[in-house]
Amino acid sequence: MNCATRIAVVVTLATVGLWQLASGLYIHAKAWLAQELIESAWTSTLSGERQVRPWPWADTWPIARLRIPEADVDLYVLADASGRSLAFGPGYWNGSAAPGSVGNTIIAAHRDTHFSFLQHSTRGQEILLQTTDGREHRYRLVETRVLDSRYEHIAVKVDRPMLTLLTCYPFDAVLPGGPLRYVAIAESISQSAS
Amino acid sequence: MRAATIGNQSIFFLLWVPLLAIALFAQHAAAQEYEPSSGTLLFRSAAGDEPAPRVHTDIDMTVSGIIARVQVTQQFQNPGERWVEGVYAFPLPENSAVNQLQMQVGERVIVAEIREKAEAQQLYVQARENGQRASVVHQQRPNIFRTAVANIGPHETIKITLSYLQIVDQQGGRYSLRFPLTITPRYVPGVSPVDAISATAETPIALLNESHGAHDTATLGDLQPQFAHANASRQSVRFNINIDAGVPVEYITSAYHQIKIGNGDGEGYRVELADPSVAPDRDFELSWTPVVHGQPAAVLFRESTDAGEHVLLMFMPPQERGTLRTSREVIFIIDTSGSMSGSSIEQAREALLTGLKTLLPTDRFNLIQFNSTHDRLFDVPVAATADNISTARHYVMGLRAEGGTEMLPALTAAFAMPRSPEHLRQVLFITDGAVSNESELMYVIRQGLGDARLFTVGIGSAPNGYFMRTAAQMGRGTFTFIGQTSEVEQRMNELLRKLTSPVLTDITLYWPDGVTPDYAPASVGDLYADEPLLITARLPKQAQGTLNITGRSIRVWGRQIPLQTAESRTGVATLWARTRIEDIVNQQAQGVSDDEIRAQVLPLALEYQIVSKYTSLVAIDKTPVRRPDESLHSTHIDSTKPEGQNWEASGMPTTATSAELQLWIGTLLLLAAAVVFVGPRRQRT
Repeated sequence: MNCATRIAVVVTLATVGLWQLASGLYIHAKAWLAQELIESAWTSTLSGERQVRPWPWADTWPIARLRIPEADVDLYVLADASGRSLAFGPGYWNGSAAPGSVGNTIIAAHRDTHFSFLQHSTRGQEILLQTTDGREHRYRLVETRVLDSRYEHIAVKVDRPMLTLLTCYPFDAVLPGGPLRYVAIAESISQSAS
Repeated sequence: MRAATIGNQSIFFLLWVPLLAIALFAQHAAAQEYEPSSGTLLFRSAAGDEPAPRVHTDIDMTVSGIIARVQVTQQFQNPGERWVEGVYAFPLPENSAVNQLQMQVGERVIVAEIREKAEAQQLYVQARENGQRASVVHQQRPNIFRTAVANIGPHETIKITLSYLQIVDQQGGRYSLRFPLTITPRYVPGVSPVDAISATAETPIALLNESHGAHDTATLGDLQPQFAHANASRQSVRFNINIDAGVPVEYITSAYHQIKIGNGDGEGYRVELADPSVAPDRDFELSWTPVVHGQPAAVLFRESTDAGEHVLLMFMPPQERGTLRTSREVIFIIDTSGSMSGSSIEQAREALLTGLKTLLPTDRFNLIQFNSTHDRLFDVPVAATADNISTARHYVMGLRAEGGTEMLPALTAAFAMPRSPEHLRQVLFITDGAVSNESELMYVIRQGLGDARLFTVGIGSAPNGYFMRTAAQMGRGTFTFIGQTSEVEQRMNELLRKLTSPVLTDITLYWPDGVTPDYAPASVGDLYADEPLLITARLPKQAQGTLNITGRSIRVWGRQIPLQTAESRTGVATLWARTRIEDIVNQQAQGVSDDEIRAQVLPLALEYQIVSKYTSLVAIDKTPVRRPDESLHSTHIDSTKPEGQNWEASGMPTTATSAELQLWIGTLLLLAAAVVFVGPRRQRT
């Protein structure tokens, strides 16, 4: 291999490598930064505004705040679970029960950003979900399991308030887009006003 | 020599990257083999422990003139070792009259009987518990049916064949038939992410409480279809169509499927799918155009039964080529709910832009979009000035589909918009109709529309045909289907011709003296350009003489049809009864109570043996086959995900980013770069 070819190879490999690294890091940076921006949108939401967009060109808005004190988790939940919104935060799955109401509320997020903590979650953990009216709903994690989205479905119509956190599985798979999902199922303990 | 070796190594590294990717992919594939464990909250569709029965569907259509007789054969094949019950929800055309069902096991054929719905279900359940082979067909929604087949033995196949009659659609000179192959999941209003609108005044209470026993195969509860990605080993469809149009046909086309056309038995043509393994993930549409010689002939069919003489009349009134003088005020309503995501919203955007293009400066317009909430472009309708059109175009370009389908408040808002007395109000409704509260919507359309006209444009690969047709009928407009982006322009232009051409009004039929016809539909509405007059009637006895038809568009016209030219044709009586039943059911939109409707429909459906909201077909084999000590496993069979929709099979979002993959690739490439860079230096030392 002559010198010019070698330089060309090194430059190409390094450029593409850096670009890939940067885009990978950008996903994480975006996930973190967005949550910071959403915080102020949530504050306005709590004071009575509706559909507060965290930045002017955003096409989603926070509808709940999800906290797990034991795991040091504090996240703002966005109004839909489309790929665009999930880059910025966990998304509420449209069609599932409204947060805090009777039925199963489903919240999804990426396994490698916002919901990466789920792999360490254990039964019994307390989950707090604050809704737009300021009320904080309390849930307890009762079950975690893996399901195959090709064959299994999540029931939405249940007779009590439930919360299901959903993310991709396995947590350390390198390629995105597999059929497996990891779910953490929580049952309502009480609905305390705050 | 050494340099060459190291050079090879770096090349080796370059090869390494794709190799590693393949290895990682293999690991990923291995992870898919995961066997799910049982759970209480999570439903298991059959793929887990007991394989679901496979369903193969054969569709045999025989078109003769304007009547199509269709046989749908579903083979339920049990691949497992246990006794199973298969439950399958499937769509049929909205104007189909289902009147026969046969169950076949091996050589045995059992013919079904028509029964009141609850009674049919009871007979079925009883037979199921007794271990007898049984099947039942219910109409679940106007165009969604459900079959249940009980006691399919290990490795056994049960075939059920249901038949229906249908009148072929005609638009201009083009005849067409649609066969829906899957269902777009219907939205149930009431559940909403935004607290403020979760229960608006418009949301009917009944809907908020509506229960969906999705997996309860024993009850008559509404069955929500479940979806799987297309998989030919689980579901397959074969078409076999014979067309005898009665006249020479210029060409036969299928908009969404490749077809093979050959010579059929006798006069007609034989049509098959070019690729029989194609996934049942979109509607099938077949259209043909006869060679026209002068004035199109009127079609008059008759059938005599114990109930009387039934006639079917279809003819194309003379077309006046002129344009409407009145300016129009067009309210565009566009559905931007989640079910419209993917290619549907693109088609809808194109359709809207085409619609905007056709407005004249003297016209007025407004635009409303809705999903979980609705949003209007302007507060009130505005003049179609270049500025306003440009604002609208921008708005349309930015439309995206997500969220629920709260159609009712959007319709109410559209109807409440201030109306200009000088303009003709037209409401153009672009949607896939993926709603479950059709009857409430029809009520609102009927009550709120006033003298405005409603035109529906059905979008996507599996739109709700019943909604499109009935809403247009209630709104005294027309319906149009657009199944792919390439069709948008042609179909929208056809619609535009209807919107801007004079309407044919005052259509009156004069029968010979002493003949009192019982019409279905009860009245002939106005006709738009290229629309045929289509009516069925029941007469007390066979009529002699001449039928006179008059009508008015720009000029008054008349037409005489000698009644003795009527051709005898089986099915006319069924089609009359089917149309009459639909007519009665639609009275719900005028506030007629369900009890009254039931009282009228039930005897009619039983007399004419038609599956309806209140009647079902049930077939039971007399001899029990399953011993009482053997258990029966009930499974629900998935429908195929409609083509072009973005969501995954069970609707679960994809929740992994490519971050990890990119970090890996990035690191490996940098390593490779370092090796190539460092390699030669070592050589020098």
